Amino acid sequence: MLTLYRCLLRLYPAEHRTQFGEEMIQVLRDVQADAATRTRFARAIFCLREATGLLAGAFQEHLRSLGAAPAWLSIPTRRFTMRTEFRFPKATAVLMTIILAGVILAIKRGEAIVASLGTTDSPHFDFLPAIAPLFVFVYAAGVLGWAILFALRRSGVHRLGSAAEPK
Amino acid sequence: MAYSDMSPEAILEMLPLTEPVLLILLSLAGQPRHGYSILKDVEQMSDGRVVLSTGTLYGALRRLLDDDWIEHFKEQDSSRGRQAYRLTARGRRNLQAEASRLKQLARLANLRAVKET
Repeated sequence: MLTLYRCLLRLYPAEHRTQFGEEMIQVLRDVQADAATRTRFARAIFCLREATGLLAGAFQEHLRSLGAAPAWLSIPTRRFTMRTEFRFPKATAVLMTIILAGVILAIKRGEAIVASLGTTDSPHFDFLPAIAPLFVFVYAAGVLGWAILFALRRSGVHRLGSAAEPK
Repeated sequence: MAYSDMSPEAILEMLPLTEPVLLILLSLAGQPRHGYSILKDVEQMSDGRVVLSTGTLYGALRRLLDDDWIEHFKEQDSSRGRQAYRLTARGRRNLQAEASRLKQLARLANLRAVKET
């Protein structure tokens, strides 16, 4: 468990690891000693909780280091997600760009692999042209539906906004 | 201090507290504590309902430190290299304001519940 914990700690920004890393490991040792006396199921829950806590914490610390995480995002609640003043964090554009770059890179790598195999046939992807129109249709229907709701001032944004207005 | 007596700036300063953050602050309200002690106290205060992971705890502590709600506290016996934390004046003021807010809500809920029954 400690080995896994140390590995997951590496996902945190260096500054956080420097400030809290050893302290977190010390606390985990103490908590682990408590958990050792419990049932196997309770120990499994403990390991799962610690692992997910670290993963979520690392993600939020990175968001925070980008200047995007709201102050109390560390412990997300429905209260936060329902705050009407919530807007997309500034880092959204950065993250989307990174994801786009990843997708493009994957496509390029895929093309390079196909080229290295010396064939342009890709039988595994024959279904793509068939589902593309369906995908476009569903997407367009979704956009149209949202546009109608927006025009009728019935979209989620409007409903949340009207709920926040004083009566 | 009553919530209604606070200045608007002071009220604005206090964001709504999540239950784990509120419990962490309550844990530090009595005495300075280190991480493990906070975890156990939070679990005890909530009758085992809120069990924080270390990742969650230190995420919250980090933000509370950054916002000057808590501060490091140097223990006399720090042989195990544990770091203790305590509430700052600002943290205590905001905790009191949150307690007043919750008290008002509870009073309102009681009033309405009595009316409904």
